[in-house]
Amino acid sequence: MEAIWLYQFRLIVIGDSTVGKSCLIRRFTEGRFAQVSDPTVGVDFFSRLVEIEPGKRIKLQIWDTAGQERFRSITRAYYRNSVGGLLLFDITNRRSFQNVHEWLEETKVHVQPYQIVFVLVGHKCDLDTQRQVTRHEAEKLAAAYGMKYIETSARDAINVEKAFTDLTRDIYELVKRGEITIQEGWEGVKSGFVPNVVHSSEEVVKSERRCLC
Amino acid sequence: MSDKDDTETPVVTKATPSPEDGNCEPARNSESADQSTKPESKSEPVASTRKRPEARSSHDLDTADIHPVQESQALGKDPFSKEVAQTGWGYWGSWGKSLLSSASATVATVGQGISNVIEKAENSLGIPSPVEISTQVQYASGDTNTKGNESTSPVAGPFGVFSTISTAVQSTGKSVISGGLDALEFIGKKTMDVIAEGDPGFRKTKGLINRNSTLSQVLREAKEKEELRTTNEVTMETDRKTHYGLLFDEFQGLSHLEALEMLSRESEIKVKSILNSLSGEELDTLKLDLEQLKETFSLEEFCDEEEEEKKGDEDFTKEIMELFSQLHISCRPEKLTRARNAAYEWIETPLKKPLVEKEEEEKYLEIQSTEQVNKKSVECLFFQDIHAFAIRSLAELTAYSIELFHKTAALVLHGQKQEVTAIERSRALSQMTVVLCKDLSIMSKEFTTCLTSAGVKEKADVLNPLITAVFLEASNSASYIQDAFQLLLPVLEISLIESKTQLPQA
Repeated sequence: MEAIWLYQFRLIVIGDSTVGKSCLIRRFTEGRFAQVSDPTVGVDFFSRLVEIEPGKRIKLQIWDTAGQERFRSITRAYYRNSVGGLLLFDITNRRSFQNVHEWLEETKVHVQPYQIVFVLVGHKCDLDTQRQVTRHEAEKLAAAYGMKYIETSARDAINVEKAFTDLTRDIYELVKRGEITIQEGWEGVKSGFVPNVVHSSEEVVKSERRCLC
Repeated sequence: MSDKDDTETPVVTKATPSPEDGNCEPARNSESADQSTKPESKSEPVASTRKRPEARSSHDLDTADIHPVQESQALGKDPFSKEVAQTGWGYWGSWGKSLLSSASATVATVGQGISNVIEKAENSLGIPSPVEISTQVQYASGDTNTKGNESTSPVAGPFGVFSTISTAVQSTGKSVISGGLDALEFIGKKTMDVIAEGDPGFRKTKGLINRNSTLSQVLREAKEKEELRTTNEVTMETDRKTHYGLLFDEFQGLSHLEALEMLSRESEIKVKSILNSLSGEELDTLKLDLEQLKETFSLEEFCDEEEEEKKGDEDFTKEIMELFSQLHISCRPEKLTRARNAAYEWIETPLKKPLVEKEEEEKYLEIQSTEQVNKKSVECLFFQDIHAFAIRSLAELTAYSIELFHKTAALVLHGQKQEVTAIERSRALSQMTVVLCKDLSIMSKEFTTCLTSAGVKEKADVLNPLITAVFLEASNSASYIQDAFQLLLPVLEISLIESKTQLPQA
């Protein structure tokens, strides 16, 4: 456990039931793959530090949400305080891909007046033989919504690290440029504690935050 | 046990295990623990010990009130008014009085952000009832007369071990500050109220301020303060290892607590609006039902239970599993039981084979700091490890307990159709709370026994703060768990209301 981090970002992980949200997060935070896992109840919490540049660490608080419809009223409450999100679908499950834009609509309504930086994640890419969604169409959809697209596998640990760190880096850039600012009453980004290094001007505390979806 | 090596004195002494080192075996009885901790009790400021963050309302003072239910009825005619919510629960004795009243008071706040405290318009807040004021006065006057009052206080609660410890309380001006063993004293009785202001007016002010924050806010603030403090100091690494709040957060306890508070708050708002929409007989029947449900949340079991023996791992696991199955929800408490049993395993290891443990420790140290090992530092490291592990375990188990309550709330609200009544669920949950808290208190005793035997050579002023800290955090843990339990009340109220309104339709 390392205490010093520059910022804390809250990330939310959403997507249909059984696309592998919890498994992806567990692979990222615990470094292992759980063969069987119970469906998530409501929301679960994880955290990990990510080093985006030598000596610059970001603490990620990751909200794992239940994909099941019946918990939707609980999970909705978490959009508002997230700065970033991973929107997952299962590449072997066409339905979960078709639901992507519903998820985006859902978040749009509940994240007001803020914005979430999303990355689209095609999960279970180890099961390429059962693929029902091509990389091309997924990339197209992602581009239409201004998202990046990445394919991951929690089982084979493919791109898991990259999915989270790329998103973290993107958010960090936006924070550095002042497009995302720390705000009172919003928990998406929090300033952390910096070692005895120069803090530079990254610490922006303006009250305005621009759109970036 | 992979602690940083804290040897400050580079005395070159060969660390040979001498027979006197094997001091871990005999002192399993708390008697010796008491002996060794007693002398310094008055003068020692407890450096590493942090008082439980304050968000207590003046209600916490009414430890003397024995029939809160009756009292609440006398106070507020409407059983759903604030008064009742705050006074109705707290019966089960004088220990572990908690943030509950403020926690349940705050869940009523509409639209309150997690860390965004909005002024509340409720004018009843912070104004203690006449009964409270009188108990405050009682309390205040009781403090000056320490021996007489304190020793007769019932210490039969889970922390009953302290009944054997004589306590000393010094009165300094407007605060009653107790030193050294003070933490032990209030665990037995008033938990966090030991540092009670003699000035009721001051308390009143404080009550007003604190009513607006939830337990998780208070904890978060305390944690953040600690994070800030530790980054500013060199001692960070070791400090963090033993800081309950930081560890509690690391195990996601804070997040689960916040989530539970959110569900509780939403449910409470719903309950209120439902009650507002009803009238006449319908309303009266429902109120009666809700009153019944509330009674199951009074945790009376704490009172009449005697000091219990430590349960075996299987017993505890079985009991929790059994209680959990009575809830009929699709989630199991394995994470908690596993962590709990692992903690007990750890405790028992050094006790059973202290010499082996110690030799390993020394070997480890020899590798670590080559020649700079002296015998004292070996022991020092050893009991500090126990302390760190104890705090860590308490934080972990508390976090997992709260996680369980959070999951329970989510499933009660959004689970499958229920096969059990809300009352049955509350009873199981209430019992679970008792079991969890008792187990924590027993565990803390095991830890301190362990600590005492490992550090028997230490001066009391080194050992005492650590022992105090363990007991203090165990007490805090129990309070948090009870607070979390109380947050389930509105959730079960909703569940009850839903089952009532669904039945005729079906």
